[in-house]
Amino acid sequence: MRVRRVVLLVSVLGVCLLLLTLQTRGEGASAGQVVAFVTTPLQTVLTKINRSALGLWATYLDWKNVRAENRRLRAELERLRVDSLRVQETEDENGRLRRLLVLRDRLPLATIPGEVIAREWGWARSLTVNRGRGDHVLRMTPAIAPEGLVGRVVEVRSGTSIVQLLNDPASTVGATVQRTRTNGIVEGEPRGTTRFKYMARDGAAIQVGDLVVSSGLGGVFPKGIPIGLVGAVIDRGSALFHYATLTPVVDFGRLEEVLLLTGQTTQDLAAHFPTDR
Amino acid sequence: MMRSALALVIFGGGLAQTTFPPALRVGDITPDIPLILVVLLALRRGPELGCLAGFVTGLLQDAAAGGFIGAQALTKTLIGFFIGQVGGRLWVREPLVQVPGLVLLSLAEGVARFLLLQIFHFPGSFGDLMLYIVLPQSIYNGFIGAAVVLTLIGAERLRGGARWR
Repeated sequence: MRVRRVVLLVSVLGVCLLLLTLQTRGEGASAGQVVAFVTTPLQTVLTKINRSALGLWATYLDWKNVRAENRRLRAELERLRVDSLRVQETEDENGRLRRLLVLRDRLPLATIPGEVIAREWGWARSLTVNRGRGDHVLRMTPAIAPEGLVGRVVEVRSGTSIVQLLNDPASTVGATVQRTRTNGIVEGEPRGTTRFKYMARDGAAIQVGDLVVSSGLGGVFPKGIPIGLVGAVIDRGSALFHYATLTPVVDFGRLEEVLLLTGQTTQDLAAHFPTDR
Repeated sequence: MMRSALALVIFGGGLAQTTFPPALRVGDITPDIPLILVVLLALRRGPELGCLAGFVTGLLQDAAAGGFIGAQALTKTLIGFFIGQVGGRLWVREPLVQVPGLVLLSLAEGVARFLLLQIFHFPGSFGDLMLYIVLPQSIYNGFIGAAVVLTLIGAERLRGGARWR
């Protein structure tokens, strides 16, 4: 047993030394080729297995990374959406305030800008503005927007004012059709629409799309502030007066800021409002 | 059947070393799997199998490395035989023996290979080889070998079969 072990060891060592000796004599190439002939196919198979296993692992890692990245990107997208909305909101507000400022600078009378802080949209139609007695706002002060007339202040409190909108059923404004100079009164209706009433039949050559502006009669509203566009003319045949339905130039539902006209003027203000409608 | 399995293990171990290094690399160091395999086989199966396993795996490593064919075969043959001879007297169940034991064996194999290659005018510096290749690889071998031994012991305990020597 012991001899067999020693013989085996000596034989193996002998082979090793023989191989090394052959190589030193320049005959090692053939020995290498023989070994390579046996090992190369197996190495190729092992490499393929290795690559497949590593490939699977790499794919799994990629998938994990993609999932984590996906989660991160979703969160970032959400944040960016909120940011985008905030930016959009700020831009809209900037635009509105800029137009209000432009109008304020152009108007030949004193004004106070006010922010809409509440709305009443039921039986009464009104806005609450963050300007009140402390800002020297008086009852019946007209409220306008860059597009036209909004209404009038009907109640003044310490820090706020209530503005009655044009489409409030209790609202009446002396008005004129800009093109024909036909006089009448703009009234609000319970359903939230407005109508131009008391048009004399003989002066009623008004058409759909005509602009109705404040007449300045009555001393509350300055002259020439746009109120609305004629939507339809209702002719009651033999009635003494007929009327027109109006589409207000101001979108009361989206109103965020108003100008309160605290000064007085007898000038026609029509030139200070946009004409492209 | 057992012999075929052993042949496959020896042959596969030798080839695995040349095929899988990227997967096993830590920094720039790879373990010497055939050496670990030879030591384990020699401990379990005695000097004859240790000697043959060392020869085959070393030869495969030599062939793959493209250097002197026979150098690693010779050193691993010696290691396999030596460990197979003294295996019965080693407390290989203790991790405190496994790790330094394998480290020392790896170092010895490295030194022996270097000395052998000096006969063939190998150009490398002993200090650099030891410091940057042999020593780190020996330490790595120690831990890998210990992990393998502990895994085998655990597996045998679960199976309730033959005990590791």
